[in-house]
Amino acid sequence: MMTPASSRNRKTEIVNGLGVWLILIALFLVLTLAVGPEVFLGTNLVNVIRQICVVGVMAVGATFVILCGEIDLSAGAMAALSGCTSAYLMVNTGLDVWVSVLLTLLAGMAAGAVMGAAVTYLRVQSFIATLGMQYALTGIVLLITNGSPILNLPKPYLIIGRGYVLDVIPVPAIILFVLVFLSAFVLKYTKFGRDVMAVGENHAAARLSGINVTQTKLIVFALAGGISALSGIMLASRLSSGQPNAAGDLSLQALAAVYVGGGTAMAGTQSGVIGTLAGTLIIGFINNGMNLLEINSYYQKVVLGIVIIAAVALDTYRAHAAKKA
Amino acid sequence: MAEQNKDLILELQGISKSFPGVQALDHVSFGVRRGEVLALAGENGAGKSTLMKILSGSYRKDAGTIVFDGKEVEIDSPKTAERLGLSIIHQELNVMQNLTAAENIYLGRQPRRHGVIDWKKMNADAAALFARLGIDLDVTARAGSLSIAQQQMVEIAKAVSFDAKLVIMDEPTSSLTAQETNILLEIIRGLSAGGIAVIFITHRMDEIFAAADRAAVLRDGAYIGTREISEIDVSGLISMMIGRTLTQQYPPRNARIGECLLEVEGLGDGGRVQDISFRVHAGEVLGLAGLVGAGRTETARMIFGADRKKTGKILLRGREVSIRSPRDAIRNGLALVTEDRKQEGLLLRQSVQANTVMVALEKICRRKIIHYPSARRAAEAYVKDLRIATPSVDQRAVFLSGGNQQKVVLAKWLFSDAEVMILDEPTRGIDVGSKREIYEIINRLAEGGKAIVVISSEMEEVMGISDRILVMYEGRIAGEVRREDFSQQLISEFAIGGRKL
Repeated sequence: MMTPASSRNRKTEIVNGLGVWLILIALFLVLTLAVGPEVFLGTNLVNVIRQICVVGVMAVGATFVILCGEIDLSAGAMAALSGCTSAYLMVNTGLDVWVSVLLTLLAGMAAGAVMGAAVTYLRVQSFIATLGMQYALTGIVLLITNGSPILNLPKPYLIIGRGYVLDVIPVPAIILFVLVFLSAFVLKYTKFGRDVMAVGENHAAARLSGINVTQTKLIVFALAGGISALSGIMLASRLSSGQPNAAGDLSLQALAAVYVGGGTAMAGTQSGVIGTLAGTLIIGFINNGMNLLEINSYYQKVVLGIVIIAAVALDTYRAHAAKKA
Repeated sequence: MAEQNKDLILELQGISKSFPGVQALDHVSFGVRRGEVLALAGENGAGKSTLMKILSGSYRKDAGTIVFDGKEVEIDSPKTAERLGLSIIHQELNVMQNLTAAENIYLGRQPRRHGVIDWKKMNADAAALFARLGIDLDVTARAGSLSIAQQQMVEIAKAVSFDAKLVIMDEPTSSLTAQETNILLEIIRGLSAGGIAVIFITHRMDEIFAAADRAAVLRDGAYIGTREISEIDVSGLISMMIGRTLTQQYPPRNARIGECLLEVEGLGDGGRVQDISFRVHAGEVLGLAGLVGAGRTETARMIFGADRKKTGKILLRGREVSIRSPRDAIRNGLALVTEDRKQEGLLLRQSVQANTVMVALEKICRRKIIHYPSARRAAEAYVKDLRIATPSVDQRAVFLSGGNQQKVVLAKWLFSDAEVMILDEPTRGIDVGSKREIYEIINRLAEGGKAIVVISSEMEEVMGISDRILVMYEGRIAGEVRREDFSQQLISEFAIGGRKL
């Protein structure tokens, strides 16, 4: 029984599923024409992938948060703090590299859980709760570092952001792809993942279906905090220093990647993180293309801003179309 | 006709309106006299609200003419209605909480001097208006600080300030105390004395007889008649509202009633809903009748742990259980099919399959990992069993018809192995054919040994499918009716508080 509505639905679904990849392919074509085929030569490709890893990892955390119906603006500050915290622990207290990394990840999760508690128990809107957290974390990182970078990081730490496996595959890329794969799996194949989707789509229905909405959101925020911390560690490692001001607009770039990926509007079928990965690649190639074309880097911010708005407009349009169809 | 028209402020001629599967209004014709108070009565679903929405310009009529103040009019938006002098006060009040009473009255058309708002004049005008209507209220009070009754008065004053010739009020007393109701009825009489006609929609017989000049009755979208209040009594009006014979759309009930599965004792929310006690047995369908707002949904939500109960206890199979959340309820074998399946029942963007398995996800997990082939098998079995019309189990719920969406909700709870199912208005907004199917499913579930509670505002439905009916009135159980005593008259009397246990 194929009604017109359902065939139209099938069509929108395919377009939505592929949409982001089509954009990516179109972008490749434009770049090939504008810059030349060297865009896709090994060195540039590896370059782009290395550049997107930090944002990409952060965007995976943001995807979970957005899928469950909230937003996290604190990711960038969390990353800056985590980079510096791990650096501080290694350089100033002489802790072992991996112990430092582990402690930093746990701290990120704890901070995320605090935001989750504010959002669920105190009913603070996540926009406000995470904005507040962003300020607090930015303050803490300045207190720890006194505003100056922490240098002389131990060698093993640098592998995380700068190392290669078999001399060609960047370690951060492996981290990114493993994380994306794991997240896609969790979202599709575990109860927790389905609960995240359900809570994000309709928390009233989710609650009445026996899903623990509060617990789900708490876990998501903690998870996102941990993932942001991981991205911060990758960043500090890549920069070979804990930079208190490194985060900049990373939060926004991560959110942009999620929205460009469009994994949120059509929650349910697509595992949102795959879309997010595509969104990250799109933003990475836009930046890279502009670099190769030697466009003033200040323009890149303008373009990113426009891309974010366009992506959200598209996202809203899709969600609307899906509801109406 | 022509000379009669002069007496009528509003005349409806053959108004019809249909929605997919429902004839909401079928050639409704009646008139409202200048300056009279006309009560518009009818059961839930009789078409009163649809008629209101046509008069306020929210819906477009399919056919018929509206004559207002001697002229045929086309009401295409609330603005048009307002301009004509036809004001509507909805159940959901349209008061801006942060503005004062006076500001609310003159919103968007505040008196100005030299281009700025003349507060002094606005407050004086509002005060004069209140005095004229006999409303005792400070015009500078913030609307948010006023009671519902007082906010209603602000709306009435606003309507009058627009030179309304006809004010329509949709169940204005539904959330008022007895004393507030009296004051409101007095104001309504005052409007009428001042030459403004009032249509007020109500379920409460005592109000109709206290305040109205005439009562018009709708039933199933059709106009039944209008009576002078002086020439009719309560039971006459009720039989106008319900008078029809049961049609054969209900499958026969022949379940064997077994042990008591759910027992509720002294349940209350610390507010309006109090002292609810009843039992439901395996194989039994218990109907919960009453007017909208009688506390039936609240009762169901408390039992299910969706809202907190203040008093009382819940026993399942004779054992007291602690239910503090829907999770607890589900663990104890309860299910709640909510009234609003789109907002509370389904994940519309997700597939039939995802919706079917969402409550009992662990049943299709292998070592904590979802096994999709099992999910598909489960969903497909229910699609077949409940005859859910869908191209596949991958179809998103949003694309299904109301009846099929409701079947998906039922499938979800069946898959959770619930023993006690509470269905809140299970056939609302569903076409007649699917209704019959839902009734059959309910029947089969009861025969399979489940205990079922059905909340329904449709008198015929609740009598057609239940073994026993509890009637609620103002947050309490007003009466219990056994199948052999089922009569619309009896249930209606309990439901409007006309008969005490």
